[in-house]
Order: sequence, then C-alpha cells, then structure tokens
Amino acid sequence: MAEQTITIEIDENGKIKAETEGIKGEMCLDELQKLLEDSGDLQSMNKTDEFYQNQTINVNNKIQNKKL
Amino acid sequence: MSAVVKTTTPFINKEMLLQALDCLDFKYTIKGNEIVTERVDYYGNQKFVLTNGRYQFLHDSSANRTVYPWRNLNIKEFKTVSNFLVAVEKEYNRIYAEKLAELERIRQEQLAEQERIRLEEEMKRIEQERIAYVEKQKQAIIQKAKEQGYSIQEKKVNNKVKLVLTRNTY
Repeated sequence: MAEQTITIEIDENGKIKAETEGIKGEMCLDELQKLLEDSGDLQSMNKTDEFYQNQTINVNNKIQNKKL
Repeated sequence: MSAVVKTTTPFINKEMLLQALDCLDFKYTIKGNEIVTERVDYYGNQKFVLTNGRYQFLHDSSANRTVYPWRNLNIKEFKTVSNFLVAVEKEYNRIYAEKLAELERIRQEQLAEQERIRLEEEMKRIEQERIAYVEKQKQAIIQKAKEQGYSIQEKKVNNKVKLVLTRNTY
C-alpha cells in the first residue's frame, strides 16, 4: 500500500501552490490538473529529480498557479 | 432727463439683518414682524417691517437724505437714512457671503465624507469579493479531491489555507 499526498496552499489572494508526494511519473501532473484545472492560469512548474525516476520511486512535484 | 434708481439688497433673512445691526452696534427691539431701531424721526422710531417677504425700512421720507434737524437722529456716523441703509446693506452682504462660504465648506466636507464612506464600502466589497473567491476556489478543490478519493485535512497557516490531500493506492 502506498500513500499519495498532495499539499495545496491557497494564499489570501487566491494564489495556489501545490506539491505532490508519492505519485509516480506523469501521474502527478495528471492529478494536479484534475484538481486545479479551474483554479487559474499556471504560472510555473518545477519538476524535481524524482519526477524523472521510474514509477516505483516516489515523485515530488511542485506546481504553482498564478493568482487571478 | 433720466434717472438712476438703486435699491439696497432686499433684507430677506431676519437673522442676518439682526446680525448686521449687531455688527453696526445698533440697538433694536423685535415686535412681531417689526425690528424697531433706536433711530427716531418725526413719526417715531424707524423700523424694519416684514413686507412681501423682505424687511422694508419705514421712516419719515424727509429723513431720507437730510439730517433730521429736531430730533436726535444723528446716531453714530449714519446721519441719513441712506447712509444707514448703505451701512446695513454692506454688513448684511458680508454676513450673507460668510454664511454662503460656511455652507459651501460644510457641503464640501459632507462630499468628502460621502466619498470616504464610498471608498470604504468599495474596499469592503473588494475584500469580500477576494475572500469569497478564495473560499470558492478551496471548495472546488475539496469537491474534486473527494471525487478522486482523497481524504482532506484543512489548516490555516499564516493567512494561507493549507489542504493536505491523502489517499492510499494498492
């Protein structure tokens, strides 16, 4: 059993920072897209080293949305 | 032959007329619609009488331009009725202008106050709009997270909403 965690921070202006942990490969981006598709325009995205590792390794991604 | 006739400013406002007399240091008594002055002519005290919406100065016509010879009319420097009325008119107009300026100042203050209130309300509206937006955004994320099987923990950290979404996969 593996735990998947997504931590989302919404600041007082509605700007969002999201970080995934334990979601493998491209799946983490899919998960974030599902959750944040209506939450504003993407400002930046940083893929960590883990993102490029194979799917058995935890992936840690950060995605940050631009505030509206 | 032509003639030029000038009238004084109509003394419409009783309060300002009394103030003008006060400023000129004239004593008077008020009797109904009459303001009786201390000036005296052949027919007695000269007085302002409210007539057709204005205070008209009633006096013996012979006292209009000349110094009255047999009574103590020579009160202060205003020896003739004309001199007296010109002086009253001058004070009345000065008081009137001051009153207008004061009313204009109050009006401007009220406008400034109204503008301040409007800006405050606008700020509140914008703030409420922002709070509502953030709440809506949060609820949308929570709804989607639930649909995808995440359990949700919500915290407030430094004015930021922190959502921790977790789920287990096998």
